Amino acid sequence: MKNLKNFGGSFSRRRLLAGANALSVSLLSSGLFPRLARSGEPIKIGFLAPLTGEVAAWGKPGLDGCLIWAEWVNALGGVKLGNERHNIEFVAYDNEYDPGKARTGAAKLIREDGVQFIMMLGGDTWPGVQPVAERSGMLVSTLLPSDLTPDTTTLIAPAEVHPIYNVTGVEWMAETFPNLKSAVICAQDDALGLPSLATYLAAFEAEGIELQQDPLLFDPATTDFAPIVTKMLSSNPDIVSLDTCYSDYVHPICEQLFQQGYEGKVISCTADFYEQIIEKTSKEFMEGFIFQFPDFDDPALNDPRVNFKDPNDFFREYNRRYPGEWGAVSWEYASIMDLWKEAAEKAGSAEPEKVLAAMKSGGKGAHAFGEANWWGREFFGIDNALVGNWPVVVIEDGKARVKAYKSIPDWYDRHGELLIRHMEALGQMYYQRG
Amino acid sequence: MLAIVPEAARFRYLLAWTALAVLLCALPLFLSYSQKEILVFTTINVILVVSYRHLTLTGEWSLGHVVMMGCGAYGSALASKQLGLAVPLSMLTGGVCAALVGWLLSYPLFRMKGFYFLIGSFAAGEVIRLLWKRFRDPFGGPKGLKRVPGLEEFEFAGLRIDFFDPVPYYFFSLAVAIVCIWLLWRIERSPLGWSYHAVHWGDDLARSVGIPTRRLRRRAMVTASFFAGISGALLVHYVGTVNPSRFNVEEMVYVLTWAIVGGVATLYGPILGVVSLTIVNEIILREFGLDQWRPLFYGALLIASVLFLPKGLESLVAPARSMLSRLWTRSA
Repeated sequence: MKNLKNFGGSFSRRRLLAGANALSVSLLSSGLFPRLARSGEPIKIGFLAPLTGEVAAWGKPGLDGCLIWAEWVNALGGVKLGNERHNIEFVAYDNEYDPGKARTGAAKLIREDGVQFIMMLGGDTWPGVQPVAERSGMLVSTLLPSDLTPDTTTLIAPAEVHPIYNVTGVEWMAETFPNLKSAVICAQDDALGLPSLATYLAAFEAEGIELQQDPLLFDPATTDFAPIVTKMLSSNPDIVSLDTCYSDYVHPICEQLFQQGYEGKVISCTADFYEQIIEKTSKEFMEGFIFQFPDFDDPALNDPRVNFKDPNDFFREYNRRYPGEWGAVSWEYASIMDLWKEAAEKAGSAEPEKVLAAMKSGGKGAHAFGEANWWGREFFGIDNALVGNWPVVVIEDGKARVKAYKSIPDWYDRHGELLIRHMEALGQMYYQRG
Repeated sequence: MLAIVPEAARFRYLLAWTALAVLLCALPLFLSYSQKEILVFTTINVILVVSYRHLTLTGEWSLGHVVMMGCGAYGSALASKQLGLAVPLSMLTGGVCAALVGWLLSYPLFRMKGFYFLIGSFAAGEVIRLLWKRFRDPFGGPKGLKRVPGLEEFEFAGLRIDFFDPVPYYFFSLAVAIVCIWLLWRIERSPLGWSYHAVHWGDDLARSVGIPTRRLRRRAMVTASFFAGISGALLVHYVGTVNPSRFNVEEMVYVLTWAIVGGVATLYGPILGVVSLTIVNEIILREFGLDQWRPLFYGALLIASVLFLPKGLESLVAPARSMLSRLWTRSA
C-alpha cells in the first residue's frame, strides 16, 4: 500500500478512506436521517406547502390551523413518548408549489431542522420531494392521494382521499333530488381537475344522471369564464358541476352562473370563502349549493363518531385569529397531526418508521370524520390512504351545513369498476401517470 | 510607466479571476445543505438568464424563453427515459430540441418586432405549454414526467460521487455554465455578435448595407434557445420531474426581473441580477422568517432598483472597479 507522504508515514490510503467512511457515516447519521428528539426537547414537524402564490389557499390556512393545534396540545403537556413529554414545534417552508423548491425545503427540514414528520399539500411538488423522502425514510403526508404509487412507501394520505369523496355529494344529491337527471361539468385541465372529473363522471353514471355535453376542460390560466358558463348553460342542465376547481375559478364561475340566470343545482368539491360568493351573487342563488367541506362550528361535527377534537372551539378560535380565512384545508393538516400524535404515543417514539407502523397497525385509523380503513391497493397500488365516511355539505340560509355522512368504501364496493374505468379513460390510474 | 500599467492591470485582472475561481470552488464550504441546493438552482438560472440576454442582443425581448428551457427539460427527460440515452447525451439532446423549437418558432415570430414580438412569443410559449398538457403521451399531461434519471454516480479516488447531493451537481452545473457563458461570450465578441448589435441599434441601416437582419435574429434565437434548453436539462435531471406549470409566464417574469435588475448591457449584468435576487429572495428573507412576505419584498426591491438603478446592478461595477483601481494604485 502506497503511503500518503504528506500526511506522515503511518497514514495510509486505506486509513484515509476508513476515516472518510467514518466521517461520512457520522454525517449521514447526523444529517440525512431524522434526528431523534432528546428528553424534553420539542419534536419538530415540517410543514412543506405553498404559503405564497396561486396555490397558497391550500397551504397557508392549514399552517394557521396547525399553529392552533400545537398551542392546544402543548398546553396539555404535548406528546407523551414513553415516560417523556415533548412539545410540538412546526417548522414551515414555502415551496411555492414548485418541485425544485419543495426538494430544497424537504432537505432543509430533514437535515437542518431535524423534523420527524413532514406534511405536504403534494401534487406537483411531491415528485421533487420523493427521492429525498426515500433516502431519509422520512414519513410524509399528502392531501392529494393521486401522489400515491406502489413505491411511495413512506407517503400517506390520511386526511382526504381527493377526489374520491366527491362521490358522496353526488350520491346524496341523487337520493335527495331524484328528479335531477341531467348535468354539465367543467374543470381546469390539470392534475387536480382531471381525476376529479373522472370521479364525477363515474358518480353521475352510477346515479343514472346523464351528461348533456362533453366536459369543458379549461386552461388554468383562464380568467374569463363567461363563455364557459354560456356553453354549459346552452343545454339547459339540471345540475352544474364545478369539479375540483380552485377558489379562483369557483368564485367567477358562480358569478357568471348567477348573472346568466341559472336556477338549477350546483355541486362542487370546494366552496372556499363561500361568504364572498354569496356577497357577489345572492343568498337565494347559493341556497342548496352542494360541496364537501364543512365549517367546523357545525353541530353535526359533535357526532361521537367524529374524531377531530373540539371542532366547534377550533373553528371559533381559528376565525378569531384569522377572520375570513377558513377554508377546506384549515382543519385537514391539524387532523393529520391528531393521527400522528396518537400513533407516536402508541409507538412510544417519534421515529418515522415506528410511527408509520403504529399508524397502520390493524389496518384501521381514526380519521377526522370517524374510523376509517387504510385502503388503496387497487386504486393507488398501496394501502396508504385512510378512507371512511365523508360529509356532504349544503349551503342553507347563507351558512354551510353538514347534511349527511356517506361512506366512501360502501360506494366503492358498489361502483368501483366504474370509477376505475373513467380514471383509466383519462389516464389517471397510478400505472398510467408520468 | 506606460509599459508598467498594462502589466499591473493584467495582474489585477488575473488576481480577480483567480479570486472568483477560488470563491466559486470554496462556496459550498460556507453554505448549509439547503443553501447548497439553492446554489445549484442559481447556477442553472445563470445559464438561463445569460442565454436570455443573448436573445436581447438583437433588440427583441421574448416572453417565451422559459418555455425553451422547458423544451430542453422535456427533450432531455424523454431522451433518457424513453430512448435510454446516457444523461449527458440526453442533456445535449434537450438543448438541440430547444434549438429546433426556437428555429421553428422564429419563422412566424420574426415577422413581428418589438411589442408584437413580445406578445407573439408569449402566445407561442403558451401553445407549447398546452401541447405538453394535451399530449399525455409522451409528455405526461398536466402532471408531467416523473422519475427522470439523474446523472449516474461514480467512484473517483475511492470517493463516491453522487450527483443527488448538491455539491457534486453544483460543480457539474458550474462547469457547464462556464462553458456556456464562454461560448456565448465568444459569439458576442465575434463578427456575428457585432452584427447582432448592429441589428439592435440600427436595424434599417444594417439592412441597407446587406446585413440579413431576420436571419441574424433567427440565429440569435436558436442559439439562446439551445442554451436555455441546456439549463432546463440540468434542472430536470437534478429535480427528477418536469411539468408544464414550471414554465409558465410567472417564471418568465422572474427571468425578466433578473435581467432588468442586473442589466443587459454586459454579460455579467444578468448574472449579478439572478445571484443577488436569489440571495435576497431565497436566503435572506427565508432566514428572517419572512417566507410569506417575500413577494412583497421582491416587488418593492424591483421597483426600487428600477427607480434608483435604471441601468441595473451592472452600472455599479464600473465605479466600483475604478475605486478599487485607485486604491490599488495608491497602495502600490
